[in-house]
Amino acid sequence: MGGSASGEIKAEPNMTPLLDVVFQLITFFMMVFKISGENYDQRVKLPVAGSVRPVEGQMADDRLILNIDSRGQLLWNGEMLDIDRAMKELRTQSQLVRLNLKIQKKEVAEGQPLPTTVVFRADKNVPFTQVYRYITACQQQGFVKFALKAMSGEG
Amino acid sequence: MKKMKHEEVEVQITPMLDMAFQLLTFFILTFRPMPTEGQFSMNLLPSAPSIDITQTDQKTDQNDSSDTPAMLRTLTVQLRSNLDGTLAQMSIGENDFPTLDLLKSRLKEIVADKTLPFDQAVIQSDPGLKYEDLMRVIDVFAGPEVGITKLSFSELSGI
Repeated sequence: MGGSASGEIKAEPNMTPLLDVVFQLITFFMMVFKISGENYDQRVKLPVAGSVRPVEGQMADDRLILNIDSRGQLLWNGEMLDIDRAMKELRTQSQLVRLNLKIQKKEVAEGQPLPTTVVFRADKNVPFTQVYRYITACQQQGFVKFALKAMSGEG
Repeated sequence: MKKMKHEEVEVQITPMLDMAFQLLTFFILTFRPMPTEGQFSMNLLPSAPSIDITQTDQKTDQNDSSDTPAMLRTLTVQLRSNLDGTLAQMSIGENDFPTLDLLKSRLKEIVADKTLPFDQAVIQSDPGLKYEDLMRVIDVFAGPEVGITKLSFSELSGI
């Protein structure tokens, strides 16, 4: 409330609490704002499953995320790869994983399972055979850990 | 600044508040809560060969079949699809289940029966089955009522 020095009454609302609240709200929205940094392609409509488990965050580095659209094409860095290019990409990725492990002195011999988890984000309308093709291709490259993504609950 | 009199310095808070409100408006308008995604984790060893649907016995194994106990512990479920890719029928051995509820109740019986050793399953699916419907079946297996989480897949080679 304003003071009265020389007869003139000055009514000044105290803005500070309002500003505090506004900044807190801004902070909240900034924290939850995601600039799709992860490889979550919005073109993929995931199926819904009630008993999926939430993803553990600690293994974020050790994941290879494969987005597969409804026609079975691999969505990779914004590009649509047909099956041949996708297989080539998977080979490259497995080589990169091995190289990375070698650098970290945790070398995995050829034919031995890789510790990386392959995360499948496949469209709900893609035929099983397409997904299975990627699964077997990954297995051939030495990946054994898989995760199939789905939406939890109705969404 | 030459005045030596007592001068009150007022910080203009209004522009800052304007900016703050604009930022707030932006974030509120662009706020789209990310739908929560979950996942089914599984270890799939290489490599399950395609299985001919004409084989009626339940030998499916994914590894070299030297590990007989693992084979005996493996429940094989076959999924058949309609032409449009939707789930038509599920079978365990000779038994057919037209709906997921029936499959679920059978699986619950199997799990409840302690004389049956099944703790893992192979899902053999028609190539054309929609991933969505496959997920519904996986959901039944991995759900709390059945709780078989060791799953692997193979493709039915015949229709």
